[in-house]
Amino acid sequence: MAVPLIFNTIEQTALSTWLRESTSIFGFYFILLFHTIGMSLVVGASAVVDLRILGVAPGLPLRPLKRLFTIMWVGLALNVTTGLFLLTAYPTKALTNPDFYIKMTFIGLAVFTMRKLSIQVFGDTSLDEMAMIARGKTMAAWSLVFWVGAVSAGRLLSETSKYVLYGHLWGS
Amino acid sequence: MNYAHLHLLLNHFPIIGTAVGLGLFLISLVGKNGDLRRASLIIFPAMALLAILAFFSGVGAQGAIRKSPGVSEDLIERHQGAAMLALLFMEITGAFSVVGLWKSQGTSRPARWNWSLSAVLLFSIVTVCLMARVGTTGGDIRHPEIGTGQEAKTEGSLISKMASKFEPSPAKFAELMTASKWWWAFMMDLHFVGLVLLIGTVGFLDLRMLGFAKQIPFRPVHQLVPWGMAGFGVNLVTGVLAFTGMDQYYTYNWAFWLKMLAIMLLGLNVAAFYFTGAFESVEGLGPGEDAPPLAKFIAGTSLFLWFTVITLGRYIQSYSDTISVHK
Repeated sequence: MAVPLIFNTIEQTALSTWLRESTSIFGFYFILLFHTIGMSLVVGASAVVDLRILGVAPGLPLRPLKRLFTIMWVGLALNVTTGLFLLTAYPTKALTNPDFYIKMTFIGLAVFTMRKLSIQVFGDTSLDEMAMIARGKTMAAWSLVFWVGAVSAGRLLSETSKYVLYGHLWGS
Repeated sequence: MNYAHLHLLLNHFPIIGTAVGLGLFLISLVGKNGDLRRASLIIFPAMALLAILAFFSGVGAQGAIRKSPGVSEDLIERHQGAAMLALLFMEITGAFSVVGLWKSQGTSRPARWNWSLSAVLLFSIVTVCLMARVGTTGGDIRHPEIGTGQEAKTEGSLISKMASKFEPSPAKFAELMTASKWWWAFMMDLHFVGLVLLIGTVGFLDLRMLGFAKQIPFRPVHQLVPWGMAGFGVNLVTGVLAFTGMDQYYTYNWAFWLKMLAIMLLGLNVAAFYFTGAFESVEGLGPGEDAPPLAKFIAGTSLFLWFTVITLGRYIQSYSDTISVHK
């Protein structure tokens, strides 16, 4: 399949070129840094809620953990934003890599699960703690699986990409 | 100051410190002294952290002296292999000490003997022996006046002979780490998973002290700490393995050394939290209760330093070859 020409157009824009080539500390690695911080917020806070539902730290009251969802959404917003910048810098590299779509799928599933936990378990005030755990158990387990999958697929992007830029294969 | 200086500054701590720690631990057993035991259980993890720095600085020290007359690459290799084995046992000793401290929480009297203390005893004895060999092999590189002589350098004592059978070849070990890009990616992936666990749990604890989600009492949040420690353990192992795989890359990198400095400061932060009364001041915090200023300060510092560690870690890639001494 031919690589769509629009990837090339994006790579030629001033923003894309600056993101890739700037030697400023606010260039590419700055965006990547905030992508990592966002990850630590959304996945870290999710992991705490998931682990609690799965039986870790049983003395920790479950319902007030609802506050952690704010941190998750902030982390997610940060990562969508920085992710779009990263995609602007290297559209061909990401979008021709099957692993990128695997990562997006994992994130989609993880966020779907996170929302479901937020609404069906934490949003239902009629539930007591036992009922919350009973209802949330499967969601929590899947949430951990999806997040580990998303982080791993993300980490593997650089190992699995075929192109660096439009028309430039790795090593060519 | 250069790496040889830094290495000399650091390398005596784990060797002498571990021996002192073991001495205190043994005395605490004989005298049934809980405070001494606690002190030794604090010394071991502190030495385990410093040992990592001593190990890392060795590569730069090697770069500083390798071209000097009379310096043998073989002796340096032997010293590095000995250091790798000793470091392994040092870290295990440190980890079991942390478990021992965790289990004896809240009691000033000696806690009941448990498996973690047996493990500390066993591993600290082995570590002290291995550290002695690291010191001896290190001294052989540059101190002919000690006079162990050439024969002794190859023969050595019984302990040296036994230890040398288990010591890895640094070059082969490095090759093993970098031979497959998938293995490397797997280690880095685990480094990210460890980071997430650490920030999720320790970050939550810090935020609670700063006043976030105040309706939650402190104690159950503190139950999450072993998960944060596990995350740190994963990152320590994967981080040290990555270093051994590409030691030149990390050695001459500013971002890497600043990251290590931030991690050492975090060690002090943890000590400040548990040993200055800050922990006792928040331990009983109930729903809606506010932490005192000292605990808040420590929590804020912890958050700041952890995000500094992430920041510096992220910039390692763009700061390669930023230190040019003795390359």
